Amino acid sequence: MTDPRQAQVFRFVRHGYADGVAELVYAFDDGAELVERVSFPGAPALPAGRETAFAAALRLLHLVAGVSYYKAALPPRIEVEGAPLDEATADFLDQLYLHGLAELAYRNGLDLRGRIRFPRGAAAPAAAPALGLPRRTLVPLGGGKDSLVAVEALKHAGVEATVSWVSTSPLIAACAERTDLPQLNLHRELAPGLFELNRLGAWNGHIPVTAVNSVILAVAAILYGYDSIAFANERSASVATLEYEGQQVNHQWSKGYAFERLLRDWLHAYVAADLDYCSLLRPYSELAVTRAFARLGGAYFDVFSSCNRNFRLLGPKPADRWCGQCPKCHFVFLALAPFLPKPRLLAIFGRNLLDEETQAAGFDALLEYHDHKPFECVGEGGESRAAMYTLSERPEWQEDALVARFRSEILPQLDPAQLALEPWLAPAAEHLVPARLRPALDAIGAA
Amino acid sequence: MKFGGTSVATLPRWQNIRELVASRRAEGARVLIVVSALTGITDALKQLCAEDDQDKRRACAEGIAQRHHELLGHMQLELPETLGERLAELERLAAEGPAVMGELAWQALVQAHGELMSSALGAAFLTHSDLPTRWLDARDCLDAAALPNQNERTRLLSAMVEAKPDPALATRLAALGEVFITQGFIARDADERTVLLGRGGSDTSASYFGALLKAARVEIWTDVAGMFTANPRQVPGARLLQKLDYEEAQEIASTGAKVLHPRCLSPLREPRVPLLVKDTNRPELDGTVIGPQLSEYAPSVKAISARKGITLVSMESVGMWQQVGFLADVFGEFKKHGLSVDLIGSAETNVTVSLDPTENLLDSDAIAALAGDLARVCRVKVIAPCAAITLVGRGMRSMLHLLSSVLAEFDQIRVHLISQSSNNLNLTFVVDEDVVDSLLPHLHELLIGAGALRTDDSALFGPSWQNLYGRGEAVAPAAAWWREAERQRLLEFGAQATPRYVYHLPTVRAQARKLKTLGAVDRLHYAVKANTHPAILRALAEEGFGFECVSPGELKAVQAAVPESAPLLFTSNFAPREDFVYAFSTRATVSLDALYPLEHWGDVFRGREIVLRVDLGRGLGHHEKVRTGGSGSKFGLPLEQLDTFLRLADAHGVTVRGLHAHLGSGILDDGHWAEVYGQLASLAERIGSVAFLDIGGGLGVPSHPGEAPLDVAALDRRLREVKAAYPHYQLWMEPGRYLVADAGVLLARVTQQKSKDTLRYLGLDTGMNSLIRPALYDAWHEIVNLSRLDEPGTTLYQVVGPICESGDVLGSDRRLPEAREGDVVLVAQAGAYGKVMASPYNLRDEALEIVIE
Repeated sequence: MTDPRQAQVFRFVRHGYADGVAELVYAFDDGAELVERVSFPGAPALPAGRETAFAAALRLLHLVAGVSYYKAALPPRIEVEGAPLDEATADFLDQLYLHGLAELAYRNGLDLRGRIRFPRGAAAPAAAPALGLPRRTLVPLGGGKDSLVAVEALKHAGVEATVSWVSTSPLIAACAERTDLPQLNLHRELAPGLFELNRLGAWNGHIPVTAVNSVILAVAAILYGYDSIAFANERSASVATLEYEGQQVNHQWSKGYAFERLLRDWLHAYVAADLDYCSLLRPYSELAVTRAFARLGGAYFDVFSSCNRNFRLLGPKPADRWCGQCPKCHFVFLALAPFLPKPRLLAIFGRNLLDEETQAAGFDALLEYHDHKPFECVGEGGESRAAMYTLSERPEWQEDALVARFRSEILPQLDPAQLALEPWLAPAAEHLVPARLRPALDAIGAA
Repeated sequence: MKFGGTSVATLPRWQNIRELVASRRAEGARVLIVVSALTGITDALKQLCAEDDQDKRRACAEGIAQRHHELLGHMQLELPETLGERLAELERLAAEGPAVMGELAWQALVQAHGELMSSALGAAFLTHSDLPTRWLDARDCLDAAALPNQNERTRLLSAMVEAKPDPALATRLAALGEVFITQGFIARDADERTVLLGRGGSDTSASYFGALLKAARVEIWTDVAGMFTANPRQVPGARLLQKLDYEEAQEIASTGAKVLHPRCLSPLREPRVPLLVKDTNRPELDGTVIGPQLSEYAPSVKAISARKGITLVSMESVGMWQQVGFLADVFGEFKKHGLSVDLIGSAETNVTVSLDPTENLLDSDAIAALAGDLARVCRVKVIAPCAAITLVGRGMRSMLHLLSSVLAEFDQIRVHLISQSSNNLNLTFVVDEDVVDSLLPHLHELLIGAGALRTDDSALFGPSWQNLYGRGEAVAPAAAWWREAERQRLLEFGAQATPRYVYHLPTVRAQARKLKTLGAVDRLHYAVKANTHPAILRALAEEGFGFECVSPGELKAVQAAVPESAPLLFTSNFAPREDFVYAFSTRATVSLDALYPLEHWGDVFRGREIVLRVDLGRGLGHHEKVRTGGSGSKFGLPLEQLDTFLRLADAHGVTVRGLHAHLGSGILDDGHWAEVYGQLASLAERIGSVAFLDIGGGLGVPSHPGEAPLDVAALDRRLREVKAAYPHYQLWMEPGRYLVADAGVLLARVTQQKSKDTLRYLGLDTGMNSLIRPALYDAWHEIVNLSRLDEPGTTLYQVVGPICESGDVLGSDRRLPEAREGDVVLVAQAGAYGKVMASPYNLRDEALEIVIE
């Protein structure tokens, strides 16, 4: 292939599983096969009675992981080889691909509406039965504050849990060590052909990676035996980053509530009635989560990082984990500031981002002042404004360059009644956390 | 002689102690040995103290006893009665718990057992090894002083002793024997209770005994040869300090060095007892002698240190101006919140103070509460995390004029506070903490370069830490090619005509081959701006190098000299449109470092593959003018314009095939390029089309004697590490000076001499017109009188050229043999940025070039 953007058909060729490795095969037109491998270390033999569930989960993984390849060319047609999909599954995938790739489309000036349509034709299968899965929980770890809050809350509630992550990350491995919980490190090896496509000028941009990882964990849950997967996606992940020609664009759509419910329902209906998928942080704002982290996360202060720059080699210094320039660094700094003693916060980051005048534009974006919200997993503008307002009232912060600037320049344009911190700390009602994990949910909200 | 916990924990270490004590005996000295507890025992005793449960305390005591029994077993000794008593006592204390004696007194007595047991064990071992040794109870000699500001805790757990020479004690001991062993860390108070001396207590005990007995000297035996000019973990090139006075040593100890506790020097000052720090494993090393002030040495900075985790509180108010009691009120607030102030800087309307790091400061709301109270009287700003960089040396003020190039380094960073105390011993800068790790080694180097840290004085400064403890043996640098092998030929060239540049191709090839050992690097390009002599270009083409050019002229010169197969790079900066048109007509890979060319000359680039040079936002290098990163530099695309650049590239069908960054020159830190690679790789992942990362050059070439060269093997290890993390990118480099600097020399002849005041000027027949680096970058080039190479240096010369500029100085303060008109003088390391930067200024003849094959 010369120009990937000219491809006409994306094909789901086949998938298989043997000896702890799932093989997922894709192709564009009649081009070379793109083979992705997902490995499940120390995988046991599949327990009897879970075959149907495993096959359904594995097929979903093939379909969902395809988004990494489909996005390279965004061809007008999708072909799924093997048994046809039923209406509901095809709709689910249409939504995932459309919303999950919305940011990529926006950035490249494309409109994917009407372009993405999975073929369909089968009747819906019978509802999946309960499998009597062991009562233990997989907690995906990201190396940032959110999943560590989930881990500590589960420990607090006495839930049997295993921390899990996909691919190699020294940052996550270091955090996993600190949790003192069993670890399950899964691996996703992208097809090498994808790099070649990129070199040839493929479309590039954000994909709904949380969806892919979620389904990898669903496969793992059936294989190793877990009855629940507890993510740590908070409330603001459901809020669109911006609206573009009538379409909501949300950088973290697959961390949002809509996706959570779609996948949870699909897993209940097609895989196992007793496999739960939820987010423990769903009712909480970012600020409620940072408050919980300030309280529960002490063991991780010198190892965690939410920085968007992908640090593959870690060092002991804060600058080895926090770039200090990206929206994630800005937001986590700002959102933790109201809840931690200032010297402790500065020791975590190794610097004071709010006293660096050159960072003004970055913080303005968080406050939604002069600019729209950045394409990152960061809190809502109102949360940033509430955190900044709180700091502006604190003597130990108010002389720092950007806090002083907020007081003199931005605050006069805002209504102080809208800037209180407390409303952000109250949980919302919306969540899918099963009864068994409720005590963990409550542990996060406790002041 | 004092020995720490690791030195008394095993049989071989005790045998070592025996040898050392015996050698002192052989010198006729009477010896008092002060020991710490066995490693880990003090912690185990603290653990015991923390247990509420009697059975657990007894189990702890049992474990501690076991350690001592094991060591006795290795020594093949029976349990001596003295040790047996201690073990029984400890068991009793463990069973009894704190209730009877009171918590603190009980803790002190329990913890004192570590030293009581180790000294009893040592007495038995040494006596058994034919070195009759008397056990001495330190508590019978050291009386804790009652001080007004002490509470019960500090009285018992961090007591002080007023140790004055006590001739009666000295006489009493003299009557008892020749060798004694006693305990560090413990003393007795007026109520006959056992008390502890607190942190660094064993060293302090040794000093107290040294003062009491007015000893010939106190020897602290530890795991390092003494105090260094900097923390060797931060500055591997730090030099051993062989002589210090008490005040300097105390200043160094309290500003960062961990070898000695600052408390242990003051007892020795008045009785003028010298203290010697020695390495137990390497007793042959000289160590550090700390004694009364030295007069016969030139003033020098002795050490540079950094303390991290500093928090500054800056208070601003016009209210403090000529206001009685304002500061008293302000400092009262610090006391109220339990915060201790260290440095203070003040102006008419601002006072800034520093707070040392404590857990209390980090995790309590003390700072918030303090700021709240202070905000009522002034504007408060809390600045953190900071680090205090301190230069220590007696007579600091007289050295300020030497520090200009060092201070220039502070130009790019925020200095929050400067403090220079009236004891004239230190100069402290408080800066942002994140700059310290890279800054410190650099400042150390600059201090040496500026002649402020006089490492040339071998009486004061010993070998570097790297030499003493670094990997493998320090390899003495091979004699430069011009010193021996080619000296005669160079003298002949010099006799024919000067000035002349002479290039030694075998050196170019040798350097090229060194870099070819960098297995992680996929392609090396020679940055030809360093030296465009065709013979050098050909030699490097033969070694398989590509060529990096910055102008059409360089592209033409290279194409004329090297075969068609050699890869070319065109990396220009602010070049005109036609340069790009020309570059695309050659085989060169073209770099861009601005939006402008794509915005305005898109047609030139349509459908092309290019390399994007980015600015990673900071610069490095040996001089401001060689830094090529950071917003103060004109090179590179700022990262915030990256997205715009990519959109423009996409619009013009331009593919970004490579990413490039180059932060500066003369970098000797092997970790630097790996960091650049990591940063570029994380950017490249967002771009997709990138196939290679070009991490630039800037590989440093040491110029001063004793400066450690770049560790190529270490560099390769670091690069392999990052490359393993991002295996899908090729790695390119662009060394220039590294390949050719040492291969070239400039020959000149002596013209005239002149004396001015105390200065002696040595005139040469060429200067900045041939070699502008000293004038432009303050570069240091070795200068020798080749005609008198074997004569000793007797005269301190200012080596100057004939150009009508006061900056025409090739070298300052160079110790050379007394010169004569016509002598051939050689300026070394002139192979890079020499001839290529020469100018016809003053219309003096240009230096011709000669190549030695």
